[in-house]
Amino acid sequence: MKSGNLLEIKNLKMYFPVTSGLLLSRKVAQVKAADDVSFSIRKGETLGLVGESGCGKTTIGKCILQLHRPTSGEILFEGMDLCKLSNNELRPLRQRLQVIFQDPYESLDPRFTAADIIGEPLKIHGIARRRAYRERVEELLDIVGLAPYMVNRYPHEFSGGQRQRLGIARALSLNPSFIVCDEPISALDVSIQAQIINLLDDLQQKFHITYLFISHDLSVVRHISDRVAVMYVGKMVEIADRDELYKAPLHPYTQALLSAVPIPDPAVEAQRSVIVLKGEASSPLNPPTGCVFHPRCFRVFEPCATVIPALVDKGGGHFVACHLYDSAYSSSQAAAN
Amino acid sequence: MGALLQVRDLSTSFYTQDGVVKAVERVSYEVANGETIALVGESGCGKTVSALSIMRLIAEPPGKIVSGQVVFDGTDLLKLSKADMHKVRGARIAMIFQEPMTSLNPVLTIGRQITEALEIHRGMKQSDALDEAVRLLELVGIPQARRRAKDLPHHFSGGMRQRVMIAIAISCQPKLILADEPTTALDVTIQAQLLEMLHNLTKDLDAAIVLITHNLGIVARYASRVYVMYAGRIVEHGPALAVYHDPKHPYTEGLLRSVPRLDEPRSVRLAPIEGQPPDLIALKSGCAFYPRCSQAESQCGEESLDLVEVAPGHYTSCRSVLKGERR
Repeated sequence: MKSGNLLEIKNLKMYFPVTSGLLLSRKVAQVKAADDVSFSIRKGETLGLVGESGCGKTTIGKCILQLHRPTSGEILFEGMDLCKLSNNELRPLRQRLQVIFQDPYESLDPRFTAADIIGEPLKIHGIARRRAYRERVEELLDIVGLAPYMVNRYPHEFSGGQRQRLGIARALSLNPSFIVCDEPISALDVSIQAQIINLLDDLQQKFHITYLFISHDLSVVRHISDRVAVMYVGKMVEIADRDELYKAPLHPYTQALLSAVPIPDPAVEAQRSVIVLKGEASSPLNPPTGCVFHPRCFRVFEPCATVIPALVDKGGGHFVACHLYDSAYSSSQAAAN
Repeated sequence: MGALLQVRDLSTSFYTQDGVVKAVERVSYEVANGETIALVGESGCGKTVSALSIMRLIAEPPGKIVSGQVVFDGTDLLKLSKADMHKVRGARIAMIFQEPMTSLNPVLTIGRQITEALEIHRGMKQSDALDEAVRLLELVGIPQARRRAKDLPHHFSGGMRQRVMIAIAISCQPKLILADEPTTALDVTIQAQLLEMLHNLTKDLDAAIVLITHNLGIVARYASRVYVMYAGRIVEHGPALAVYHDPKHPYTEGLLRSVPRLDEPRSVRLAPIEGQPPDLIALKSGCAFYPRCSQAESQCGEESLDLVEVAPGHYTSCRSVLKGERR
């Protein structure tokens, strides 16, 4: 394993069975939520993970946290394969792998006070008791920008942005080294989103936390990430350093995605052309043969429908899975241009 | 030039156990024939309630349209009888809702949900209506439309359902479409597809659109004029270019500054608007943005201003901006 990588994901597959029948249920199909996905996350960085809803972003996050046990593949955390560990062996590691959920309205227990929500991990892992516990809870509230007098409030007494701060405090309570941020701002109002993004930025610097930042908002991902990974129907299609990906996207899907992001300036918008894709994303229940993107691709050519493109390094850590950049097809690629 | 729709001093309140929520307070806006305007603001700012008030879809109680006029094509919709309003709703004014899952009837086929409007408003026979429904479904890009017309909404993906909503909206060739966050629940590539389609279809119909959204990017792409709402009131409005390039209200300015932009160099830190949007029950007199405003003066907390024109067609309700203009 390369030094500097906190997590290494190798050939991760997560298939969910689709069953039929009430008493004697049998498997009739499978949803390939993540299909042969490999990537790594460096220590201290933020890796942005983007893609359409249902493309497997959240599944990847949950697999890393072992909330889903993957069908196959390896997830190396500091060299240890999390998939091979038993639940008991995982328990101490869970302190270091935390999560912030998308919906601050649904991810907090409505019958817990703020103190219970933030303090529960401390109790479960036996970290702090009595005075130390209270002090730690108040410290955490302060870190995320909530006032100490709010400790006995219930979630419904907080606004959306404050609730997300509670969720962040809970994730921080055990001093994690890695946090999966699963669409942490998409449920929040525009004027609040920037507050939470800045908070996440500050916390990363203060506590040296590594983030996997899952989002479909490409502008926000560019702001917060060091590197960006793009997924499409269970497959990783492109990974690159942030500036590289936004300046020179290679995969046609990434290109379409970036062109579709509207820019809040009428003068700029009047000059831009949008790559409008045809049709809808395929279902992971029945993914297309060859490249998963080929039915919608505007640069599709012969091999795309039959051969699955591999994720290859095109130099400087810019990985792409597309036949356009495969020298084996370079002659037909020129024809396609 | 006579406006197609003129909303004048519209106020809608909800009477709850905890008090009166003034969801929309003396809101006025105009839409010309074939024009696209945008209502921008955060959740709870009254964008949707103002659209529902135009359609007279406010549940009463607890809600009530307290005052104002909604003049559409020369008639005040708020004065129409229920039966007359039925003839307007869905026929001459259509609405596209945010949640395509909850706004389609789960137990009626897609085809039936389109033919219903055609039979009621255009007096079509069942078989003709079905043919027309299939044509509309093809128009909005649903493959194998004749077969899919027999499917139920849950057989469709989110993007497909929103296509169906658009088909229903344009089925009676309305003059005005109220699009309430039409693509918020969808992915960017699907969002781009649908908005392009809606834009082109309405151009063919010469229909006007009121685009209700919190997404400043979408507004920049489609709207010619923008109304910015905060806490139930319009705080600024004007031509899109002017509002984006020279905002005349600190709230608009704050909103524009707080979103990262793909076309600009990445900033190290975002500039959020501090604080929270106000609780509409406990709204004090004075400017609602006062507690969060960086340019506030003590007078702002006591008394709010009406909209004043500061540039051609560009209005603001901000006291400190007005002072600056006069200087």
